[in-house]
Amino acid sequence: MENEEEVLATSNEPLDPNLHKKHISMIERLSNRHQTRLDNSLARQSESDSSSTTTTTTSTASFLSRFSDSKRSIDSQLAQSRLTDPAQLRSHLDSISASISDLEKLVAESSYFLPSYEVRSSLKTISDLKQTLENLNSELIPKKKFSFKNKASKQDRDRSVSDSKQTAPENADSFSVPLEKLSFQVRDSPGLRNKNGETLVKNFKGSEVGEFTVSDLDSCEVRLIGSVRALFVHRLKNCRVYAGPVTGSILIEGAEDCVFVMASHQIRIHNAKGTDFYLRVRSRPIIEDSTGVRFAPYCLSYEGIEEDLRDASLDEETGNWGNVDDFKWLRAVQSPNWAVLPENERVGMVKISNSGDGIEGN
Amino acid sequence: MGLLSIIRKIKKKEKEMRILMVGLDNSGKTTIVLKINGEDTSVISPTLGFNIKTITYQKYTLNIWDVGGQKTIRSYWRNYFEQTDGLVWVVDSSDLRRLDDCKMELDNLLKEERLSGASLLILANKQDIKGALTPEEIAKVLNLEAMDKTRHWQIVGCSAYTGEGLLEGFDWLVQDVASRIYVLD
Repeated sequence: MENEEEVLATSNEPLDPNLHKKHISMIERLSNRHQTRLDNSLARQSESDSSSTTTTTTSTASFLSRFSDSKRSIDSQLAQSRLTDPAQLRSHLDSISASISDLEKLVAESSYFLPSYEVRSSLKTISDLKQTLENLNSELIPKKKFSFKNKASKQDRDRSVSDSKQTAPENADSFSVPLEKLSFQVRDSPGLRNKNGETLVKNFKGSEVGEFTVSDLDSCEVRLIGSVRALFVHRLKNCRVYAGPVTGSILIEGAEDCVFVMASHQIRIHNAKGTDFYLRVRSRPIIEDSTGVRFAPYCLSYEGIEEDLRDASLDEETGNWGNVDDFKWLRAVQSPNWAVLPENERVGMVKISNSGDGIEGN
Repeated sequence: MGLLSIIRKIKKKEKEMRILMVGLDNSGKTTIVLKINGEDTSVISPTLGFNIKTITYQKYTLNIWDVGGQKTIRSYWRNYFEQTDGLVWVVDSSDLRRLDDCKMELDNLLKEERLSGASLLILANKQDIKGALTPEEIAKVLNLEAMDKTRHWQIVGCSAYTGEGLLEGFDWLVQDVASRIYVLD
């Protein structure tokens, strides 16, 4: 730096000494500032490399202040909506909607350094804002006709022509084709289907069954002896299902007034009503869109079940039968949708066999 | 220099990629992520919310967002779309009944503008289960050939249980994203 000063000094030889001094001090100040800036940015870089807490907090803090500023301005815009001239209401609401999506973008861009709590609470705030806007929208703007059109795309039609094997009954002219009709005719998996009032026994021992389906049964008793990889249960009414270990996962969708005794690594229960589950699970069972379901520990026995359970790593009671997550009840207090089955209402050990006769209970 | 440009620079320097894993519940998203990260996969509960894993893969850092697939929380997927470089759609190839659902949700996802630039890897998972559809069959059912021509996509059969096919899939995804983003290297 000194060299520079000299150069400067010599090049501006005939200078007032006072002015010269000023000049030097200014250069010095500038270079100092430059240095600090460099240092700062270096420090910042090294800090961000080691993801030090200070940078994180500064950027989080700056994000939070930006976020709350935008939120305030959106809030006030929302409040103004009711006073806005109806002619301009739509553009007013549109601009609010744009601000909200900007805010959403900000969160997304910052999401990778924000603590997950901040991400979640920011997203919650945004969804609240959206809800408010939506409410205002429907309240202030007169309803216009709106409907979804489920237009079969050109490619869809092309496919159904070119690929007759997979053709689904499709009608290009009718919009809103029910989903069931779009169904692809893929092969059926092994399973028990469409029965009423029967006792159905399936022994998997020695056979190599991967996935198995139990569906559309009414007032049946189902006994599955041995082990499968995956079990799908669909639309059962007033049934009792006793199943050996499932080494993968069980997916239950639609069960009413049933009793299930099953063991698996994962169990997901959707749309169950008034149904009891006796489970052994390695992870937490979950319910969704279900009411009046009750849980108890696994209580099945058949010849050789010990070995099957051991092979499936399900020989130990994990206690997870009672650790149920309800996706429709994301709160700390107990979900009203499920309960632990009181001990005096539980069935005893259920013993099943290959034979068609009734089960032995005790 | 704005905060954003600093972030971009750091991101670029570290060769980060943001990968979003979605798919119906029970398709095996969490198991796949844990498996490629070499973690224990024997006890996995259905995902309530999301998991983030940072994995160093080749010379890249992958930020993998594994988002729960239960119906109730699918509407939250959109919160994770922004800045996604790679999209992984996981299919339970043994769940024949819900292939319609699977197709519908994927179609909805691909309409999303914020994901329009993302490379799409479809993992036809659970190939180890007898009776599972092959990747070719899954591609047919999902009508992948009809996808927008600008989309980079690939379907790979895999098993999160044995680990087969996972690296093949992620190799493609990472290479494809890298060739778009880090084209100057």
